[in-house]
Amino acid sequence: MNVPVDPKTLVAEMSPVSTSEQIASMKKALLKTIQRSAYVYRVDCGGCNGCEIEIFSSITPVFDAERFGIKVVASPRHADILLFTGAVTRSMRMPALRAFEAAPDPKIVVSYGACGCTGGIFHDLYCVWGGTDNIVPVDVYIPGCPPTPAATIHGFAVALGLLEQKLKAETHVELAGEAAALPHPDIPYALRVRLEREARRMAGYRQGRDIAEEFMALLEGRAHTPGSFTLLECMMEAIAEERDPRRAEIIGRLAEVVQQAIRGEAP
Amino acid sequence: MLKLLKEIFRTGEATVKYPFAPMPVCKDFRGKPEHKAEDCIACAACTVACPANAIGMETDTAAGSRTWAINYGRCVFCGRCEESCPTGAIRLSDDFELAVGSKADLTRKAVFTLADCACCGKPFAPAKEVDYVARLLSQSARSAEEADRLRLTVSTCPACKRAQDVHQIAGMGIALQMEAGKPVKELETTP
Ligand code: SF4
Ligand code: SF4
Ligand code: SF4
Repeated sequence: MNVPVDPKTLVAEMSPVSTSEQIASMKKALLKTIQRSAYVYRVDCGGCNGCEIEIFSSITPVFDAERFGIKVVASPRHADILLFTGAVTRSMRMPALRAFEAAPDPKIVVSYGACGCTGGIFHDLYCVWGGTDNIVPVDVYIPGCPPTPAATIHGFAVALGLLEQKLKAETHVELAGEAAALPHPDIPYALRVRLEREARRMAGYRQGRDIAEEFMALLEGRAHTPGSFTLLECMMEAIAEERDPRRAEIIGRLAEVVQQAIRGEAP
Repeated sequence: MLKLLKEIFRTGEATVKYPFAPMPVCKDFRGKPEHKAEDCIACAACTVACPANAIGMETDTAAGSRTWAINYGRCVFCGRCEESCPTGAIRLSDDFELAVGSKADLTRKAVFTLADCACCGKPFAPAKEVDYVARLLSQSARSAEEADRLRLTVSTCPACKRAQDVHQIAGMGIALQMEAGKPVKELETTP
């Protein structure tokens, strides 16, 4: 029998280490008066290593986090910033806590990647604690799987108080009479589905949807312009204007689908 | 030495200007999933598709509401929500600046109202979804009566539909009709 198990029941709940008032005020002072490089120690708590690669790519010459004095060090005893990556596996919990204890106060804890923030894709595994904040107090969260080097730099800037965070919690409440617009009401539903399917089959969900949207907008636009066009003419025109041969092929195929639908053939 | 200096000048500066200048991202970059709540019909397709369970839904039948919520801290930017969304309400944008100081700022919520069943009066599906499906079906309906009948059908909860079907089938007396060699009356799913 496959009974669903609540993963919460499999891990022991433990209160995370909390920082005292004094340390919190020291931390504020550190952020204000830090006159030197901020040293970063990276703690891998069982991620997939994608995050590590992005951290190292953000200290390469292209992104060069060292120009802001952000330097990766080899020992937690030198660190001002602790960077926790990974979903905190059971076996990495103790080493992570030891690294936290070894770093001198005041220290800034950054939770890096989707795994570090909440456990990410591994959040309901039996062997993970699901996020850095389950074991230590976290100051800044940098989401991403993995965060790009630019997102990493933004995260450090937020951690050091140089930039403001952009994201805010929001709640949208449905307004009275709010309704989702029907896409392309002038095109028969069955035809729209066929066009969207064909475009997505050929170009994937993102580009496929974009191309299908463009194509249908073209169809509708032509239907409303005065003067007579045959469908074939206007399709040929669109294809001739298209620079990208792959897109031209897809538009050609969509035009064929329209022709088929007009002739009443099954897809 | 001169050669080296020349090489350095030729190469120029490789380091990007970010964060002092905006960072250009490539086309179709997969950044923060942007949710347009106005276009969302609370159909839960994204909730089912999301591999990381970053998107969730909670239904509160007592309050008659369904709350959609995304946690950007859990999202792995795979784009499956965008792929599965029927209305295009959710789309991955090129915003990557997501770092926050408090975890609560990583969530975004949208509250939708539930529609009551046309038959039993109990809430059963989001009002926007029912309305959207009804409009979509009446788009291809042949007559106004058919459109009305379809709207009534989608505003009925599955339990009531089942009960009506059973009631109709019992009332049709299929066995009797077949014995008499008459054509069997078609089933209608309206109250
Ligand atoms: S957040 Fe993504 S990239 Fe980073 S460790 Fe977790 S799974 Fe790997
Ligand atoms: S991008 Fe992927 S992980 Fe993120 S919300 Fe969408 S489906 Fe979920
Ligand atoms: S799939 Fe789209 S319409 Fe459905 S709940 Fe998700 S965002 Fe809303």
